[in-house]
Amino acid sequence: MSTNTIIELNNLYLKSDRGEVVFKDLNFKLTAGQSAVIVGAAGSGKSLLVELLIGRRYPKSGSIELFGEIIKPGKKRLIKQMRRKIGGVGGLFKLVPSYSVAENILYPLVLAAERKKVRKEQLFKMLTEFSLLKQAGELPHNLTRVENTLVQLARATIANQPLIIIDELLAGLDQKTYQRIYDYLVKLSLSGRSMVILSSEKLTKELPNTDNYTIMNGALV
Amino acid sequence: MIRIMHILRELGKNIYRNPGTTFSALLSTTLLFLLFDFFWIAAGTSERFYQDLLSDLNMEVFVSEDVPDSSLTSMDTPSSLRSHIKSIEGVQSLTYISKEKAREQLSQLVGVDLLVGYDTNNPLPRSFVLTFTPDYLKTSKLAAIEKEILALKGVSQVFYSQNWLKKVEKTREIVLKLGMILGILIILTVLISSTNNMRLTARARAIGFQQMRLSGAGKLFLSFPFLIEGFLVGALSAGLGWLIIFYLRQKVVFTKIIIVFPPANDIIIFCILVAVLGSVSGYLGIRRLLKL
Repeated sequence: MSTNTIIELNNLYLKSDRGEVVFKDLNFKLTAGQSAVIVGAAGSGKSLLVELLIGRRYPKSGSIELFGEIIKPGKKRLIKQMRRKIGGVGGLFKLVPSYSVAENILYPLVLAAERKKVRKEQLFKMLTEFSLLKQAGELPHNLTRVENTLVQLARATIANQPLIIIDELLAGLDQKTYQRIYDYLVKLSLSGRSMVILSSEKLTKELPNTDNYTIMNGALV
Repeated sequence: MIRIMHILRELGKNIYRNPGTTFSALLSTTLLFLLFDFFWIAAGTSERFYQDLLSDLNMEVFVSEDVPDSSLTSMDTPSSLRSHIKSIEGVQSLTYISKEKAREQLSQLVGVDLLVGYDTNNPLPRSFVLTFTPDYLKTSKLAAIEKEILALKGVSQVFYSQNWLKKVEKTREIVLKLGMILGILIILTVLISSTNNMRLTARARAIGFQQMRLSGAGKLFLSFPFLIEGFLVGALSAGLGWLIIFYLRQKVVFTKIIIVFPPANDIIIFCILVAVLGSVSGYLGIRRLLKL
């Protein structure tokens, strides 16, 4: 595996909690700077794929490599380090209810033990980028759905995480917000960040440096 | 540094958001430790009382008539009965009671000389009164000494308060066992109630912990505010318990009983151990919520 490979999934076989086969012989590779849009119907295993990628679930057979490291049960320290390199939006990823918008956005930098000056600068940049300056002190339950999504996006990118997982983010958004988020994703893609975007329907516009996949019969095509 | 600041801020938030829970945890554990402290003092005091009782215990060794006086009074002759008894392990002191001394003691005891007319033929036996080193003041060890003395030539009878000693030892054993059980029960109660308090505080934040774990936060990092809170509640409650005790000590004066307080070092060690126990309960309280 080359050093710039972000994700490599080999021959994954996974059953759901109900015992149904979700993935059989699933293969997937994502290199640095590349992104992937994975489309799948409800129940096709998109969320399970996210759980595999963040080390919350393990396949029955096959291997998962993230940033050149094989993810296995028991490698807790490694999984913790991997998670710090991943920014998550939507699906499993939510905001911390007891943290303000600013605290939520800053959390990855706290874990990275970033200096106060850098934190302040980055926070201001994010709040400005997503027009969240007024909401900085608000708790998540006071935010609209769109604001909540933007805060998640800010959190997922503030620490320059090399991989961003986006689960059903763009579904049900109004045209203006969709465009705004799309523009930001284009910016991320062009800046060399890798993304895995999971969606139940195809994106209306193509993203640069992005391959499209569909989950079909337990494999990616 | 930023991570330490974050942990301290989280600790402050925990206490600020749930002052009632923190205060009730502090109050209930203080009361439990107060009970524990009282029993600790009671155990120390009864132990002191027991040692005082034992220090009065002695053994009387009666000597046969045929043993010459020289064998009883002389320490110079190694083969003398006195030397033999003195050399027995555990014997601290030995006092010889002659016939005349025995008569004098009897007169003092009953208030009248019962042996008038027996000046040349005193029927009272000669004896030794033995005291023992503290570690030999036990039924089993005294019985062994009694047996050893009885085997010596010239000893006619040995007497000591064997039954009384047995009863005292039994009572002490019961007090100690009861103290140990009570101590364990109190520690368990503190551990369980503190753990539950922490769990109640932390449960409301389960979703938050899950998200923090997904962002790559470690278990220890997330547990630290709870470990510190547990440590502080433990140390404060143990310390407060002793403060109350020392306040009462100033106010209440016992004239007949000497109250034995544990040494300051033991109290400090106890407070540290309780603080560690508080940390453990903090971890136990949050542990399940950090699984991911």
